[in-house]
Amino acid sequence: MNVPVVDPYQGEFPETIEEYLHHGTMKCIAFNRKGTLLAAGCSNGSCIIWDFETRGLAKEFRDKDSTAPITSVSWSRYGHRLLASATDKSLTLWDVPTGEKIARITLQQTPLRASLQPGSPTPSICLACPLSSAPLLVDLNTGSTTVLPVSVSENGNPPAPNPRNKFADGTPPFTPTAATFDKHGALIYVGNSKGEILIIDSKSIQVHAIVPIPGGSVVKDIVLSRDGQYLLTNSNDRVIRVYRNILPVKGSREEIRNISSNSNEYGSHYDKLKANGTSCLILSCELLDAITKIQWKAPCFSGNGEWIVGASANKGEHRLQIWNQAGRLVKMLEGPKEALIDLAWHPVEPTIATVSVTGFVYIWAKEHVENWSAFAPDFVELEENEEYAEREDEFDLNPREEQAEKVVIDEDADVDIETSEKNTVFSDVEDSVDEISYLPAIPYPDSPDEQPEKCLGSSKLEDSNHSGSPSSMDAVQNGQAIPPASSPMEVDNSTAEDPEEGPNSKRKRRLSVKGLELQQSEKGKKGSTKNKSLGKSTKSSAKKMESANGNSSAFDDEATEDDEINIDS
Amino acid sequence: MSQQPAPAPPYRPYRQVREATPHSRAISCVRFSPCGRLLATASLDGTVALLSPSSLAVIAVLRGHSDGVSDLSWSTESFYLCSASDDRTIRIWDIRPVLAGGAQAAAVSGADRCVRVLKGHTNFVFSANFNPQTSSQIASGGFDCTVRIWDATSGRCTRAIEAHSEPVTSVHFIRDGSIVVSGSHDGSCKIWDAKSGACLKTVIDEKKPAVSFSMFSPNGKFILVAMLDNSLKLCNFATGKFLKVYSGHVNRQYCIQSAFSVTNGKYIVSGSEDNCVYIWDLQGRNVLQKLEGHTDTVISVSCHPTENKIASGGLHNDRTVRLWVQDS
Repeated sequence: MNVPVVDPYQGEFPETIEEYLHHGTMKCIAFNRKGTLLAAGCSNGSCIIWDFETRGLAKEFRDKDSTAPITSVSWSRYGHRLLASATDKSLTLWDVPTGEKIARITLQQTPLRASLQPGSPTPSICLACPLSSAPLLVDLNTGSTTVLPVSVSENGNPPAPNPRNKFADGTPPFTPTAATFDKHGALIYVGNSKGEILIIDSKSIQVHAIVPIPGGSVVKDIVLSRDGQYLLTNSNDRVIRVYRNILPVKGSREEIRNISSNSNEYGSHYDKLKANGTSCLILSCELLDAITKIQWKAPCFSGNGEWIVGASANKGEHRLQIWNQAGRLVKMLEGPKEALIDLAWHPVEPTIATVSVTGFVYIWAKEHVENWSAFAPDFVELEENEEYAEREDEFDLNPREEQAEKVVIDEDADVDIETSEKNTVFSDVEDSVDEISYLPAIPYPDSPDEQPEKCLGSSKLEDSNHSGSPSSMDAVQNGQAIPPASSPMEVDNSTAEDPEEGPNSKRKRRLSVKGLELQQSEKGKKGSTKNKSLGKSTKSSAKKMESANGNSSAFDDEATEDDEINIDS
Repeated sequence: MSQQPAPAPPYRPYRQVREATPHSRAISCVRFSPCGRLLATASLDGTVALLSPSSLAVIAVLRGHSDGVSDLSWSTESFYLCSASDDRTIRIWDIRPVLAGGAQAAAVSGADRCVRVLKGHTNFVFSANFNPQTSSQIASGGFDCTVRIWDATSGRCTRAIEAHSEPVTSVHFIRDGSIVVSGSHDGSCKIWDAKSGACLKTVIDEKKPAVSFSMFSPNGKFILVAMLDNSLKLCNFATGKFLKVYSGHVNRQYCIQSAFSVTNGKYIVSGSEDNCVYIWDLQGRNVLQKLEGHTDTVISVSCHPTENKIASGGLHNDRTVRLWVQDS
């Protein structure tokens, strides 16, 4: 709807921290499909839903059974359900409109990540990635679990069968395994500790393809882009690899079955699966920090799939790097000296939300540069000087020509004021789907002693004085993920240390050169506005006087007074 | 375009069926609720009245403002009503008990239904509008020359835009809630991004006459702008072109609120300072009817969302709310 008005040439990635959200201690976040709501899991086991349009709190889910820190949150396709995984090994499914708990399952291992099956509006199946075990498909209605295969033997022996609903006795635990559904949930991509991507049919739990990752390092994250066209892996060798998905987004299961059934003449099952893998994923680029070679945390794609963002996994560092699809670094963003623990890119906007170890969510957005052409029609900003060809009769008076221009309006054209166009960003949705984009606003009543709410900027400055910075936290050892169970203690420790440093660093970083210029121009603008206000009051008085004089002969005093008030209203 | 559109049905005239005087002073605004079951009216006496849309009987009176009320806006589900007042506040009223009906509704006093007071404007609040997409957002404009965006849930002012150099006369959200149009006495009509507060476009930029009213069309492609030179203009805001100009009425002094009528044929409806309600054909721009009966300026009109009804409110010498129905 905004497309005709918005400048099409502005960049598409964030530049600065715009504001932050604070309610409880947030540990993980996820946007809904349209980016209008942001779900956050907290350290006290509650889930919060933010209205991302107003940056206000829309809903909170609490349960007496859910008090352990949340490790991940996941939305169902159209926003009706929210799944939360927690450090007490539980999975809790919430009904978003009513706030009721639908299901609660306890696993044998702590799930680091859980995601709902994306193909269904009200899914009962989810994919859970435990701390140190194979990924599971969990039926939230029955509690039954299906262990996914995480490796295929290279020496030709058939892989050991995975029994349902229980682990085989004596099975050695694996190191962390990453997994994700594809766009419609037909396939599951698993990244294992041997540095391979396994493509698994989510119904038959059969491995159809294997893609070995260069470097052969443990896969820590595996992420699909929103449109399903790209896949990225984050490995222990500090490299993010981006793959192009050459399977069709719809019908991926059928296509991969065709590939699998058509491939023959291979020395072993493993070689066949590897050959299948070459028909599924193509490596397009590798991303790494060439200088400091940091570990990456929470890498993901932008909403339109054009950009990849990775966060530094170092403690005491809130740093993001953004690359384009060609692998070129386009942006580095630095925030407060607090470790970053989760990240989400907005589905449609150049906005990133990041979770700090302090429990704050920072919102990164494009720096707002005033579009001065918007303030006056026919005014155009020039990038360079242009030679102006002066017309010979430019300064002659042409009354006829001036009048002719006014009549250019074609008033006979028909105007359609009712037909509205579909938003093409979400064109894959059927019209009949009832999607939850917004939660009903229920204004909570004023408390009698409450002082008038201040504007957002003021409250931000006040609140930031109370935040601490965990600058003393050590760097992550050997690139292992921070165990969630210990994070609350670390937060407690950091709060006591260096309370002054956080606000100072924020104040320093918040003002970029552009921001400073903007502030100066805004001050100038406000100054002129104030001057005009003085003039305004004079005009108002004059208006009232004119009105009174004009009407005094016709009305009595009361009527005259009312007329004056009517002018204002 | 290959097929010619079906000819518009022949115009059937409106006639007055009801008249009520719910207020002791001038009426400033009338608004049908989106569900069509209530008609809200605002007045300089500081009260907001909820009337039956068929009988104009007073169902409830909302008291709480300490000065005159200038504008009203319903949330999309008709659960909440916000009022803009000269006491520099915007109040959000919970209308759900009234919609639930029954004798209990009458027993509940108006003050208890006020769930939120939005404070921050430094002068009269002249206009307010709920975001139609999410009712958690309200835009307001006032005599402090600012357009403000509020989080209705918490009462927080999320944006304070120094929008104009003269009082803001109107604010209105587009149907998807992404942008806001504002009109002002400074003669300009501007479009703002509701999220960032950035100015996206200036549609009208004249020093005179003042822009007295502006609103988006139902599909969000056009802007209807009223100017204090007796004209109403329909403008394609993406291109900045005026498509239609409606005239014949009198509007030189007051900020008269207009409306689109889409339930049967397409009309532009507006009040007038010659005490009439004017109805124009949207396409042909001709005056289809003048509704006479008010005895002072008709300051506000509202069209019922589903029935062929128009409500209108008059200023101090009239103080009536009148209901006009199209014969079938």
